[in-house]
Amino acid sequence: MEVRVRIPTPLKKLAGEQDIVQAKGKTVGEVLQWLTETYPGLQERLRDERGEVRRFINIYVNDEDIRFIQNLETPLKEGDQISIIPAIAGGAFSKRRVTLTFPPNLIKEPVIYNIGHRFKVVTNIRGANVSENMGWVTLEIDGEEEEYSKALSYLKEIGVKVEPVERNVIE
Amino acid sequence: MSHILGLKCRECKREYPISPIHVCEFCFGPLEVVYQYEKIRKDLTRQKIEGRPKSMWRYRELLPIDHEPTIGVNVGFTPLIKAEGLAKALGVKELYLKNDAVNYPTLSFKDRVVSVALSKAKEFGFRTVACASTGNLANSVAALASAGGLESFVFVPFDLEQGKILGTLIYGANLIGIRGSYDEVNRLCSEIAENYGWAFVNINIRPFYAEGSKTFGFEIAEQLGWKVPQHVIVPMAGGSLITKIWKGFKEFETIGLIKEVNTKIHGAQASGCNPIVAAFKEGQEWIKPQKPQTIAKSLAIGNPADGFYALKTIRDSGGSAEDVSDSEIIEGMKLLARTEGIFTETAGGVTVSVTKKLIDQGAIPRGESILICVTGNGLKTQEAIQDRVGRPVIIDAKLSDFQKIIPSRERENVIQIQAAV
Repeated sequence: MEVRVRIPTPLKKLAGEQDIVQAKGKTVGEVLQWLTETYPGLQERLRDERGEVRRFINIYVNDEDIRFIQNLETPLKEGDQISIIPAIAGGAFSKRRVTLTFPPNLIKEPVIYNIGHRFKVVTNIRGANVSENMGWVTLEIDGEEEEYSKALSYLKEIGVKVEPVERNVIE
Repeated sequence: MSHILGLKCRECKREYPISPIHVCEFCFGPLEVVYQYEKIRKDLTRQKIEGRPKSMWRYRELLPIDHEPTIGVNVGFTPLIKAEGLAKALGVKELYLKNDAVNYPTLSFKDRVVSVALSKAKEFGFRTVACASTGNLANSVAALASAGGLESFVFVPFDLEQGKILGTLIYGANLIGIRGSYDEVNRLCSEIAENYGWAFVNINIRPFYAEGSKTFGFEIAEQLGWKVPQHVIVPMAGGSLITKIWKGFKEFETIGLIKEVNTKIHGAQASGCNPIVAAFKEGQEWIKPQKPQTIAKSLAIGNPADGFYALKTIRDSGGSAEDVSDSEIIEGMKLLARTEGIFTETAGGVTVSVTKKLIDQGAIPRGESILICVTGNGLKTQEAIQDRVGRPVIIDAKLSDFQKIIPSRERENVIQIQAAV
């Protein structure tokens, strides 16, 4: 399976300066194996002497902690996102979610494609309701702070209403 | 005169110099202060301690500051009470209470950890301090910061009890209410800590802050005549206090102030937020985060930062853990008040009721010495007992009206003093 692995900022330099790495694997364990073989510097940061994933590193598949699924045996689907998150201050992290409401003149424009294209952000649609003359989309936006801010400014400039979504850490 | 060696990661053991950091750069584990126990063994004797003022700072050498404490000099050395009435009610022989409900200045055990944190923050040169809080920490940071001439920012869940909100604002702190749970407040504070460079007592100053809780354990040992009880029951929120009480006992043992420690440490939580207890009962090592739903707001931490270590403390000491419902919490508060005249907050009600449960289950034998940790004052959570303690009887100012509700009784036999002639 082709999946995306989100690398935490402190470990970026050990993954070739990448925030997000394209990886292959049928399970989380396989992806981690591939990751530490491809970027050997990550091995001792992610695993302890016994080979176990370090206690204060949390791994999520699409927002779910793998310990609630099948740990390293957790199976993966095409396009899944694995996030490696240091467990500082509780352990969960907040993705940036916004609800975009489109004015009628933009309903037919590929706005979401455009922001992924113009700025270094990765978007994920979490909910939507689009008809002929009105539309809203709840979007998750991933990327560096600066690119994210630029993307939001652009959206507001072209007339899209942008509202942050309140999100509980534990859903 | 410093007795500290430095900071050490609890997980991978990497060492760091003393600085305002709390996370291992290598494995992201929590950092802990390391002491020169051999040196302390020579410097700190029972006699020396007994000759010092009655505050938590009599155990100075085991606390992580270099110079004399500057903030919270009068904190601690709270009463340790032999609870005869409660012992009888619970059907046990020997029961004690360590009463931080009357701790100075803000009536909870948090004054201990804040006193250390702020004294250390001052040593580092910080002028602004902050915290994320479920209430007691907010009061304490606000009060001690003001007393110490520091500016403070306090972050709480916006729906905290009135008493705790007013009890923070009065000191002139900047109080920020967050629309979210404590866990979300904490996460936000991590980001603010990174951005603003303030001394967050429970984030970047955490390793020093946490050490203050050991004094709760030190005082228990000293006040019981340089020995420790066979059972100690501790409420758990973030899970730090329970680990530090154990650490406190073990340090006294290490430096030879007390003999072998055989105490069983038991953890108490509310059923509506029991991530640590649940992991214990299921024989798990890792904690499953929860969404808190309980009147015990000071224990409402769904993702306890020290949960793993709290579990370890309970297991290493051979103790156990239990949780109680909201109504059992209220009953616990009432029982303590009615048998011992101590009004504790909801967290105290949790601890009393869990103790009762553990005794009834046989996890705590009735013939062994037991100590209950009372960590905060009931005046701070008055809303919890609304409509649960009855109402006053209202009558007119007429003797006959009183006699209607309490009929005349035989006069009690009291000693009559004859007037001198």
